[in-house]
Amino acid sequence: MAFPDRSRLSRRSLLKASAAGGLVAATGGISASFGQGAPVNFTSWSAAVDQVRSHVSAFERATGLKVNYENFPWAQYRTSVVTRLVGNAPMDVLWVSDAWLPEFAEAGWLATIDDVPELMKYNADAAQFCTQSMVYKGKQYGLAYYGDHMSFIYNTEILQKAGITTPPTTWEEVVQQSLKIKQSGGPEFPMLMALGIDTWLIEFMSALVFAHGGRFVDVSGNAIMADANRGVVEAATWVREAIHTHKIVSPGAVETTEINALRAMGAGQHAFAIVPTYRLRALNDPSQAPAAGKLRPALMPRGPRATASATCGWIRFYGMTPGAKANAGRRANAVKFMEFFGGKDTTGSYTLQKLLLTDVGLPFCTTPLSNDPEVKAFWTRWAGGGDVIAQQAASAVKKDVIAPWFGEWNETANAAWQSVFLNRATPQAAATAMAAKWKDLKG
Amino acid sequence: MADTWADRLSRKAGYDERSAAILILPVFVVLMVVALYPIIYSFYTSLFDIVLTRPWRRPFVGFGNYARIFQDPMFWVAVQRTTVYTVVTVSITTVFALFVALLLNEAFPGRRLLSALILLPWATPSIVNGLMWKWIYDPGYGLLNGILVQIGLLESYTVWLGNPDRTLFMIANAAIWKQMPLAAILLLVSMKAIPQDLYRAATVDGANVFQRFWHVTLPALKPGLMLVLVYETMISIRHFDLFLIMTQGGPGDASYTLSWQIYVETFRNLKFGIGAALSYLLAIATFVLSYLFIRGFGSKS
Repeated sequence: MAFPDRSRLSRRSLLKASAAGGLVAATGGISASFGQGAPVNFTSWSAAVDQVRSHVSAFERATGLKVNYENFPWAQYRTSVVTRLVGNAPMDVLWVSDAWLPEFAEAGWLATIDDVPELMKYNADAAQFCTQSMVYKGKQYGLAYYGDHMSFIYNTEILQKAGITTPPTTWEEVVQQSLKIKQSGGPEFPMLMALGIDTWLIEFMSALVFAHGGRFVDVSGNAIMADANRGVVEAATWVREAIHTHKIVSPGAVETTEINALRAMGAGQHAFAIVPTYRLRALNDPSQAPAAGKLRPALMPRGPRATASATCGWIRFYGMTPGAKANAGRRANAVKFMEFFGGKDTTGSYTLQKLLLTDVGLPFCTTPLSNDPEVKAFWTRWAGGGDVIAQQAASAVKKDVIAPWFGEWNETANAAWQSVFLNRATPQAAATAMAAKWKDLKG
Repeated sequence: MADTWADRLSRKAGYDERSAAILILPVFVVLMVVALYPIIYSFYTSLFDIVLTRPWRRPFVGFGNYARIFQDPMFWVAVQRTTVYTVVTVSITTVFALFVALLLNEAFPGRRLLSALILLPWATPSIVNGLMWKWIYDPGYGLLNGILVQIGLLESYTVWLGNPDRTLFMIANAAIWKQMPLAAILLLVSMKAIPQDLYRAATVDGANVFQRFWHVTLPALKPGLMLVLVYETMISIRHFDLFLIMTQGGPGDASYTLSWQIYVETFRNLKFGIGAALSYLLAIATFVLSYLFIRGFGSKS
């Protein structure tokens, strides 16, 4: 009896199996790509990774869907995402900054959600500022991840030692109180400003411009930043004088980035600072900051012509790619995911929004949550109460320089701001350069 | 003339020019794919107005990108900054390296240990080097301020990187610290190859130490100096990592160099056409400078 050639058989079997496997994988892959069981491809920057991961797991358990979660560092995020979008990489849902909305929408990389009632229903619970920040040319492009604003904070201990009982309400008072603090033996530079070339610089300067009652552009999007009485020149002048005339801001501020500023403020080296509100939690955490418990928010001081306090706000949101929206299966899954993350989860609660606040300090856009006892307790613990923050949030204005050409304009603006801070250019000359670039890009 | 063992081996193995070409072919193909194709494709890219955020358009503009670059005032700012930085870095690195090589060429106790220690900065990763010097220069807690204040050379802490008059020189200092050791070793190798007879003859002729350096060492070092100058120029003119970590092109435009402009145009403004054209201009500048060095040092005069 002849034994069969095992090796030959096994090779054939292997080939058959491979072919069959390939066919199954191909058809399965196709159906998976376009069917109900397709994984949700979610892309974000590397923030709140633990909280997002745990919520991804919760989503997978609740829906039976798989999520491919990938994240990139914030500094490289926009470039990474753009190259992936251009290269048609599989992406369904992604985090988007409000600053990129016009650019992404014009490029056709984001899908509108106006015709997705499952998501649009959450507008009823969202702060108006947040919803408006996700609208471009009358269409809404996402659901909020978080919304925040620049806060003016002060060190209660330093003020008390200088005999100051209330924080400043105008920028002139900031100067006077800073000088008093210096004279009483307080910090050499009481006002801390992060004026280094950093993605945050435009938010800091926008907060100052809005606090001076100003704007960069008019309602038609035309540059008014070079007008001497429209806030930009006044804000830049205040900073320049704070550095060079009053010497209440360090000349080293031009190389201070937001993260370095937080460390210095947390160490108790300064009396005043402008910081993103979500940083209050870390700043008042004794395990992270020696000055914890002494740093409190105050309303953003007003410029001479401003009638009320104002600041710069921003949001980050969940956007859906047109590729996901075009396919019924992927769209359904992406919508479920966005609702679970940006809206209510399957328990009917805004679970992630609350978790992001209590764990990381990220403020939410969901107004009903403001009355939640845990949320109130959070603000009491980390900010001495939530009234000032709520009041400031109501006065937050989104950056009016958000346009398809924002990134390129901002490169020019960064250099122009710094030339003023270095006393190498007048505020008027810098504002004129910014306006010229804006006009050039707007066409 | 008798056959060498290599000739005999070649004949025995049947090697000829054709088989040599076949053996080289894989490497040639790999080089074409990973080196030549990207070079040609990047030139092709530089002829189009490619903006990643406007994916629906890709107009052919010929040399329009190059024309736009020459009309851009920031390009000329970048050229100026790059020139200053390169001249400062290359000249100081070379002079320091020469002194260190002369020192290490002498016999003294601990020379081997010193030779090893001197290579440490070169072995430091560029990113670490940038972060380290950024901290050293920090206006609030930097080591440089601390030392200068303690020894009385400064009354109070000063701003180093944030002062636009100093920025390029402070970055150049960080670059020199890292690049000098390799240059010193390269020069030392050249020095070791100088015949000792030349020094003995010069001594007999009554030449002092400076005359021996000027008439014997320096001429004999020409190949080594050329290598160092070409290498350091190529490195310095394209330097990017220190600028990314330490200043981001600032303060203002104080450290806005050509490599920084390429980064901004390509990866921030996502203008790949302009970025490719700028890269080509930088590559041409590097090539021309290297050629001039080689011609200059290679001349018989």
